[in-house]
This record gives sequence, C-alpha cells and structure tokens, in this order.
Amino acid sequence: MNGTGIQSVVACLAAVLSLTRADGQTRGFDLHGTARAGDHALRNAVVWLEAANLPGGTAAGKVLLDQRSLNFSPRVLVVRTGTTVDFPNNDTVLHNVFSFRDGKRFDLGVYPVGALRHVTFDKPGVSRIFCNIHPNMWAYVIAVDSPYFAVSDDSGRFTIASVVPRSYTYHAWRAGAEELTGTWSPADDATLTVHWR
Amino acid sequence: MTGVRIAVCVSCVLHAPFARAQSISPITTEAAVSSGASTDNETAVVATQLRAFGEIGPQIRYYGEAAWATSSDVASEAFGAAYPYGNRVQIIESYAERVFQPAGKLVAVRAGRFRPPFGIYNASDHAYLGFLRAPLIRYDSNFALSNNFLEQGAAVTAGVPWLTVATSVGRPGDVGAAARQPGLDTVLRAQGSAGPFIVGLSHIRTSPNLTGSWVHGRMEFTGLDLRWMRDGVQLRGEWITGRPFDGTTTTGWYADAIVHRVAMGPVTAVARIERVDYDTSPPFDLHKRRQTLGARIRVGQGFSTQVNVLHQTGQPDTYGAVALDIGVTYSVRMPLR
Repeated sequence: MNGTGIQSVVACLAAVLSLTRADGQTRGFDLHGTARAGDHALRNAVVWLEAANLPGGTAAGKVLLDQRSLNFSPRVLVVRTGTTVDFPNNDTVLHNVFSFRDGKRFDLGVYPVGALRHVTFDKPGVSRIFCNIHPNMWAYVIAVDSPYFAVSDDSGRFTIASVVPRSYTYHAWRAGAEELTGTWSPADDATLTVHWR
Repeated sequence: MTGVRIAVCVSCVLHAPFARAQSISPITTEAAVSSGASTDNETAVVATQLRAFGEIGPQIRYYGEAAWATSSDVASEAFGAAYPYGNRVQIIESYAERVFQPAGKLVAVRAGRFRPPFGIYNASDHAYLGFLRAPLIRYDSNFALSNNFLEQGAAVTAGVPWLTVATSVGRPGDVGAAARQPGLDTVLRAQGSAGPFIVGLSHIRTSPNLTGSWVHGRMEFTGLDLRWMRDGVQLRGEWITGRPFDGTTTTGWYADAIVHRVAMGPVTAVARIERVDYDTSPPFDLHKRRQTLGARIRVGQGFSTQVNVLHQTGQPDTYGAVALDIGVTYSVRMPLR
C-alpha cells in the first residue's frame, strides 16, 4: 500500500470514528446545502430528510412566530410535528392569527399587544397563516415528520444539524412551487442541492 | 381621470420590485390604490395610500401614512371619512413609538401625529375589512368624532397585556374639511381583554370643529367599545355619547359582524347596524339609521373587491333610501431597506 492509500484509509477511519460516540451510537454531522430556483439562490426554501426509525421528540426551547411592525416573523417556519408554536403579539396594534386553508386549521381570535397564544402543529403539512385585520400579513408554518430540517437563508444556504449518516429521502418545499423529492446519502454526496428549474 | 392615471402609475412602479422582495425588512412600505363607485349621488372616488413602518432603532417603531384621494362629490357620504378627499397628498399619521415590556408588563410611549386613542381607532382596524363607509359616529358631519381627527402630541400606554390604560395629550392636527379649533386635547382610554373579549372605555376632551357665534365650550365624548372573536366570526361595536359643543348632545352606536369561515374561501361577509342622534333645537337636530350588508372578496394576491348594500333612513334626507357601493383595492408591500 503506497502512502496515498494509507492516508485515504486513515482519513476514512477518522471519519467513521468521529461519527461514533463513546456509547457506541452514531453521532450526527451537519449537512450543508443550497437551494436554487433557476439560476439564482433561493431563500425561505424548506428542506427535510425522512427515513424509517428516526429519533423521536420535538425541539427543546420555545418556537415562536412573532408579530412585529405589521409582519409575521419569520415568514417561513419549519417545525417537527407535535411542536407547539408561540404567537406573541409584539406589535403596537391588535392582531388576529388564523389558518383556514391547509395544514393546521385554527383561529386565535383578536388579541392585544403583549398577549401570547399558542398552536400545536400535530399533523404534518403546510399551514398558511394570515391576520384578518391586516391582509398583507402572511407566513407559512411547515410541520414535518422528521428531526432533520432547515430553511434556506438569503444566500440560499441551509444547514441541517446533527444528521445521522445513512440514506434518506429528502423533500424540498417553497411557496408556490411543486415539492421536490429524491434520495440522498452521505456516501454519495457530502452536500445537498435542491434546485427548482 | 387624472386621479386614475396617478393611481395606476403608483401601483405599476411599486409592483415591479415586489417579486424579489418578499422577506421582512426593518422598514416596510405598503401602497394601496382604491377606486369606488356608489349609487349615492352617482359618486366615484379614487384614493392612494402610502405607508412606511418598521423598526428604526432598538424597540423603536415608526409608522407613517400619506394619502391622496379625490371624489366626484365631496359632499356625499359615500366612501366618506376614509380619507380626506382634497385631491392633494396629505400626511395622515407619522409617529415613533417605543415599547417596553419589563417582566410581563407593557409600557409604550408614542410621539408624533396619530389618531386619538378613542374607541376602535386604529386605521388598519376600522378601515374597512369589508365596509366601504365609516360608521356614522365617525363622520364630522354627524356632529360626532371624525376619522379625520388627528392628534399632534404624545401618548403613553401602560399596564399588563390584559389591562392597559392609555392617555394622550396633543393639539389638533386634523385633515379634511372639518378642522377642530386650536387647543389642548386629552384622551384617556382603558382596555381590558379576557378570552375572546376585548372591551374598552374611552373619553376625549377637545375643541369643537365648528365655528360660529353659537359654538361655545369644549367637545367632549365618552365611548364604550367591545369586540369578540372566535372561529372566524368577529363581532364588534362602539357606543358613544357626548357633546360636540355646549347645549348639544350626540349619541350613537354601531354593531358589526365580520364573518370569515373556512368554507367561505376568499369571501368575508360583513353586516352593520348603526344609528346616530344629534340633539339640539329643531330643526337643526339630526337622526340617522343605516343597515349595511356586504362582502369583501380577495380576488388575487393584493387585489380585493368590496360590495356593500345600504339601507338608510333619517333626517335630513340628503341621500337615497338604498345605496350600492362597490370598491376595488390593490395593495402591495416592499421593504425599504
């Protein structure tokens, strides 16, 4: 075995060992990817991975969809199914929050500044969120059956944290477009690019 | 026709960058172009509103709104009190507000030019999710509190989310035909919420908007407002009583139902009943009643059309018993920075 071959083996072993924890379970790695539409980077694209026997649980800490300055923030929020999302009114006027079309259907009524209401997204799907008082306020909440998800930033980049290396079915969603789906494995590609043509 | 051209140009210019500008920005601008027609005196109107709002510093919000509107019959009540129909651009509101939320409490300090915090007063709240006319108690021509009354001063809101008290001190900065006399205005409002209910109690002491040898004293009104909302059904109303000047009394109320249920898709149905009574020496007194049925239909992104059928009675009999109002609005948003 020549020097290059030895280096390759050592690198592979190091990679495998780095993903194996002291308790013998496989440790995750951060999957970096890019979302594109045509020839430009795409923000607010949602990407998630699915496979059998994924780890259970929902995200720790608060997940919130804020109301400030007559806007929802963020405009696109992705959560694991079963997550409770806070809808605080941090604006200076009354707001209403409702979702009537798809996904989770609810109406939180009109509530004042400083008040907080919650919704548990107990089924996977896309919920379109509006305010009945301010017609230009809108947001999307995407509930997915997976702990591995991310939303792309202004430069189209996304990072799915702590992914256990194995084969997955990936899904990619963006507003007003067909959902993309395919297979991805770290053995084939260290990154993931989702591309609406 | 010139107005229509201006409105169309504004909408075209603003629409162009929208496709690549959909994320939240610290400052958002919004433009709305509306046109309407009514069988009341065959009135036609065109209006454009430009708004800018967002955060200009840590916890400091800004809200500004300018409007241009023109009407073929400024004396008509059709579409009245929504904007000043002066055929010129006017600043409606322009204020900065700092909000503090220490340990579950709420304190907000506002300074600039804003609507008096009396009743259901916020522009986006009262104007007009399916209604094409303001309530009768919001017309100055009914000796009540005009939507075009504005304060130039400061306001403080304090409390907890379920109970707040707001007070404002300022001078009149009214737009439109009815301008109040100079003087110091004070407004006090308490608002509480419990479950689906929001209730408010307001009091305003200001100067009359009328001038004449018979006008003495101060304008003073007290009001009660109530809202309830659940499962896409909103009920709300206001009742006010007071005097536009000494020796007179105005009392009025309205009750709205705004229904937007799942099965209704893009349609919001609205209904209103209301009355106003201005009591003074006959024949100068005034009594009006109006019932409105209507709908707001979201035609597409940014486009909506509204239809109202009104039945109105009372004196002086300056309008038809039945009127049909139709309006179309296109609005678009884009970030400024």
